[in-house]
Amino acid sequence: MSAATTTRRTASSGTERRPKEAGRPQAGGSTMDRQRRKLLVPFVGPAFIFYTALFIIPAIGAAWISLHKWAGSGPMTFVGIENYLRVFRDPLFLKSFGNTLLLLFVVGAAIFILAFAMTLVLRDMAGKKIVRSVIFFPHLINALVFGVLAGFIFNPGGIVNTLLAPLGVQNPPAWLAQDNIFPLIMATLVATTTGYFTTILMAGVDRIPPYYYEDCALAGATPFQRLRYVILPLTWDVFGTCAVLWTISSIKIFEIIWVFGGSSGAGIPPTQSWTTAVYTYVTAFSGQSTPAYGAATASAIISLALVSVLVVVLRRAMRRDAVEF
Amino acid sequence: MTTLTKQKPPAPAPLRRPANRRGTSPAMRAEHSIARSIGVVLLWAVVAISIGMLVWMLLQAFRDTRAILSNPWGMPESFDMVNFVRAWTASDFATATVNSVVTTGVSSFLTVALAAPAAYYLSRVESRLTGALSMYFILGLGIPAQVILIPLFVMLNEAHLTDSLFGLNLVYIGVSMPFTVFLLTAFFRSLPLEMEEAAALDGASALRTFVQITLPLAKGGILTAFVLQVVSHWNETLLALTLIQSTEKYTLPIALISFVQQQTYSGADWGGLFAGLCIVVLPMLIVYVWLGRHLTEGLTLGMGK
Repeated sequence: MSAATTTRRTASSGTERRPKEAGRPQAGGSTMDRQRRKLLVPFVGPAFIFYTALFIIPAIGAAWISLHKWAGSGPMTFVGIENYLRVFRDPLFLKSFGNTLLLLFVVGAAIFILAFAMTLVLRDMAGKKIVRSVIFFPHLINALVFGVLAGFIFNPGGIVNTLLAPLGVQNPPAWLAQDNIFPLIMATLVATTTGYFTTILMAGVDRIPPYYYEDCALAGATPFQRLRYVILPLTWDVFGTCAVLWTISSIKIFEIIWVFGGSSGAGIPPTQSWTTAVYTYVTAFSGQSTPAYGAATASAIISLALVSVLVVVLRRAMRRDAVEF
Repeated sequence: MTTLTKQKPPAPAPLRRPANRRGTSPAMRAEHSIARSIGVVLLWAVVAISIGMLVWMLLQAFRDTRAILSNPWGMPESFDMVNFVRAWTASDFATATVNSVVTTGVSSFLTVALAAPAAYYLSRVESRLTGALSMYFILGLGIPAQVILIPLFVMLNEAHLTDSLFGLNLVYIGVSMPFTVFLLTAFFRSLPLEMEEAAALDGASALRTFVQITLPLAKGGILTAFVLQVVSHWNETLLALTLIQSTEKYTLPIALISFVQQQTYSGADWGGLFAGLCIVVLPMLIVYVWLGRHLTEGLTLGMGK
């Protein structure tokens, strides 16, 4: 209490002493700093409590639940890593996990190649602001919408088939057959996500000062050399960020699969298109069989482990000396 | 002297250069390869298709199901809102829209209101504690929602907060903390310190400096954080699907899912469905047209560094 009053007194009477202090670097901030430090609890406290109670504790709880056999109510039996062994023996989980990996790597690679190509074209094209703002917009739309629209477009009597008929395609593939849904989902994701990453890459490319390009032109660099020696090194950190972003968001993909094609008969999508997020949800909440909370969280924890490993690896692999410019 | 000036030869005619309309230096647009031109054409095609899809979806929402199915390229005969009215009344999109608007507004506002002071503190005070706290908040960025799904459900169930919009709001606030704190910390760091120092010299307390000096300066960043939260809470599906069970508490994404699933039993009502899609998409379009600059700036601020 006395410390608090002293500080307050210094703060109010400090005006005359201030010029002397101002000579020292950061001295003007020292009273301010001391005052600020006292704000720790009122400023950080509420955010800390909400975040801890509704995010960190559940995350720790998940690790705990994944070590138990539990149907949500009734007794929890400790089974150790049995749940993890169980999901890895479950063909459904293996399929879901495989699909998640496909999304992560195949869709990710497609998105990055396309986004980078688009960035290179966009860089100095007329009307780039319009293009950029249009291709960014799908990021703001719930993926459910794309799933439902795809159902209409790829219907047996839908738009795609009516467009294909005049081209002489008599027996178009059954687009929405259970085996074909997942590749369609992958294509839809590429189409709807590329714009977002293009926007972020563009922000990185736009930071490159134009005189580098002019220097390239004067030195007679080919477009490829310019790409290799100027654009790539200077946007490398943005690439790293994008890769991490995609890793984190691809693991969560759920909505688009849940309604894709609008064909989910019993409210559950065909197992061929499940991802680990869908597996977790269905195993715990489908209401079709006894909920297996342990196995469901185990599958979620496995995705978390996958994200963590990949993020660490990516940060290692993408680490370069930051280029200052 | 005067004669000398008069005899000075007229200035040479200025070199005629092509007007540089694009604002880029000539050296940068030297090459016009075929691949590039194809790329430009393709990009404009993407733009046209995107806008076309959006307009097409809007137009179909004004047609009835039979007309849509027989000719998906047709134009609406009249702009009567029958699909919207049916979706609005019969399919409970009205309640869902109100729920979504309230939940999105309240949770986004509270998220930013709680995250801004925390981010301010973390950006201004440098100590081992704040370093650890920043790491602690960033940690959450990497945890996918399905991990906390089941424990959250169990916890909220214990507290009788499942199937409650109040509970859903609490969850949204907690889950949004990592990103918002991270974004706003980066933003506060980018603000100049001089004004705050001047305020402190004038005897303003740290709290007053924050409220009267920093917050007004940070208006843009705070608005950005708010809009990003609005977008993510408006579209959030997995948590709402898990935590909400009764129809009158559905948010829009959940109402849309249940509408799609009803159709497998009651036959496709594409007109109503398109109207439902429009109700989900249009608010985002309005937000984007209105505040889009903040959105893209915020994302690049948060991600670029």
